[in-house]
Amino acid sequence: MAMSTTTLGASEHDASTRPSFWSRLWQNDAPGYLFLLPWLIGFFGLTIGPIISSFYLSFTDFDLLTSPEWVGANNYIRMFTNDPKFWASMRVTMMFVIFSVPLKLAFALGVALLLNRGMRGLPLYRALFYLPSLLGASVAIAILWQQIFARDGLVNDFLAIFGIVGPSWISTPQYSLWTIIILAVWQFGSPMIIFLAGLRQIPQDMYEAASLDGAGRWRQFRKITLPLLTPVVFFNAIIQTIEAFKSFTPAFIISGGTGNPINSTLFYTLYLYQEAFGFFRMGYASALAWVLLALVGLFTAFSFLTSKYWVHYDD
Amino acid sequence: MTFRIDRRSFLLGSTALLAAGAAGINAAWAQASSLRLIFWGGQPRADRTYAVTDLYKEAKGTDVQGEFLAWNDYWAKLATQTAGGNAPDVIQMDYRYIVEYANRNAIAPLDDYVGTQLQLADFDQDQLEGGKVNGKLYGISLGANSVAMLVNTTAFEEAGVTPPTNDWTFDDLRTMGEAFKAANIRGGMKLIADGSYSEPMLNNWIRQKGKELYTADGQLGLDEADMTEWFQLWNGLREAGICVSADEQALDTGPLESTMIVSGKAAMIPANSNQLVAFQALMQDKIDMVGYPRIAAGQGGGHFRKPSMFFSVAGSSANKEAAAEFINFFISDPEAAKVLDVERGIPCLPAMRDVVAPLLNEQNQIALNFVSNLGDLLGPLPPPPPAAAGEIDLSLLRTVGQEVGFGARSAEDGAAYFVAEAKAILERAA
Repeated sequence: MAMSTTTLGASEHDASTRPSFWSRLWQNDAPGYLFLLPWLIGFFGLTIGPIISSFYLSFTDFDLLTSPEWVGANNYIRMFTNDPKFWASMRVTMMFVIFSVPLKLAFALGVALLLNRGMRGLPLYRALFYLPSLLGASVAIAILWQQIFARDGLVNDFLAIFGIVGPSWISTPQYSLWTIIILAVWQFGSPMIIFLAGLRQIPQDMYEAASLDGAGRWRQFRKITLPLLTPVVFFNAIIQTIEAFKSFTPAFIISGGTGNPINSTLFYTLYLYQEAFGFFRMGYASALAWVLLALVGLFTAFSFLTSKYWVHYDD
Repeated sequence: MTFRIDRRSFLLGSTALLAAGAAGINAAWAQASSLRLIFWGGQPRADRTYAVTDLYKEAKGTDVQGEFLAWNDYWAKLATQTAGGNAPDVIQMDYRYIVEYANRNAIAPLDDYVGTQLQLADFDQDQLEGGKVNGKLYGISLGANSVAMLVNTTAFEEAGVTPPTNDWTFDDLRTMGEAFKAANIRGGMKLIADGSYSEPMLNNWIRQKGKELYTADGQLGLDEADMTEWFQLWNGLREAGICVSADEQALDTGPLESTMIVSGKAAMIPANSNQLVAFQALMQDKIDMVGYPRIAAGQGGGHFRKPSMFFSVAGSSANKEAAAEFINFFISDPEAAKVLDVERGIPCLPAMRDVVAPLLNEQNQIALNFVSNLGDLLGPLPPPPPAAAGEIDLSLLRTVGQEVGFGARSAEDGAAYFVAEAKAILERAA
């Protein structure tokens, strides 16, 4: 009895001297949370909330005008068993990811290497090369791309010098996706900047030591630059892969939202958009979104798992 | 003070942002003395519309706050607002969506207001019928228009070919096409765009054969044999170099600038009578309009006077009477008619046509004459298309048409696929 009183007293004592979790939170962290509030509201209201409801909606039929109707896994089943457009769009996006990401990274690295030679006017060149990325996918780009890749466009004018009569690249099913891949590669600005920063981190004395040992430029690149740059390559590869999966605007703008011609530029995201805002099948579109999320997650997880075999960290 | 928001002004910067915020507040505190209006269109249409809302405010003291978007963005926005129970009072509605919105009570029947707020005694009968769903009036037509073939007469002159008249047939089309090809003007300009996946053109063609694209009970009105014939017809024109090639037609992604007539690849394109003004504004060459080609000499009945767009009242609106009153002003006030011109189509009240007629510019005069004098081209108004018609047009007809055009499918194969898939889509949507 006495013991229990003491413990009780002790705990009472504890409570009176040490503020509770909640009051501590209030006194110490309140200002912090207050300043975070706009972001928190946005995060929960505009990001987490919609994500959760989209998960729910993916199991429903929902046309916006009438309330959602529970259909179980029907959306997912239809997608995998009875929707040729799902597979067509998946193929387009996969092709885009597989070709645009390596090409873009190689191009960005190449330009970064060229710019990393301590040339004069570097900031200017850096800005110039970054410019295409800023232009993004605007209507102006769509028109520019038509001027370049149409039947009477720049590319064919150039080919005509060699007597080659080219097709209308941008509107022929076999080539139209490639014009968008080229657009993606052309917008190499952000990985280039990151590569450039990575190159700056590599200690110069390594190159000096290597050249004293008689290593040529190519050997230096292979044995020093590339291994030390792998963390940056890895980072860029992940970011660009995710970006490529999410890619929407170029195809939307260039094909006017149609995935023209014959669905050859019907990106997965574009199909999702058509289902949602063209035909008001919000449930099906939500299911498509979750499949995309799972796919991107798988790809990223796979990259992280394999990274230990090829990414070298200094320490 | 009315606040007007569109995407462009929104992007213009902070002033627009402020306006948007203020408009939001206004909407939230909306009272009976103010109405909200939403419509699709461009800046010129918005200018005309807002001039009428200003007139209305002067006349009746009711503030009408307008909002407009491009066609593609419009339906997503309207559906979202409707889902949120926040739809504007007055909604610009299209023939394609009116059944869907009416069936879901997203728009209200207006029969109760006819004779009181809405004075429709002289209103064109076919336009009134066009706004009915299941016998109830859900939309007031803002103007009639018709499909029309736009003709670049300057190019015809250059080629030394006589432009078509309303009597022309598909046979004439072939003859003209050959002559056009022989003339070889402007680096091989073709006679006509590829219409094989133009839904209005297919519809016009099948109506001349006495069928409809969609029956009154929302089923597909044509069969495999029809579609095969249709695709073969265009294959023939394409191979003969009378219409543009498949890869050129694929450059037309929707905007007027990308159409074959504006890009100078063809001398004719299928379009609508009310679009002549917009097309002429983009072109140096002179353009005119005629009917779609007849399947045989003297065969008519393909065209119809389509309600170009409606005003409907939201089912959730708290101010339905006031909304009906505004719509009545919009269609019957002479000053409003002068401002609106025929930009939304030919007015449906004869009195307003008389007001507008002397003021029309050349292109609008052409359009008015064309729609008023369709003669035997005119057939009955087709039943409103089923809800899935949009998907069949954009997602199926377009793709199959391109597959046939690029040679990925034969005409027969394309026809079989189209009919089977269209039926599946209709069934899924039902």
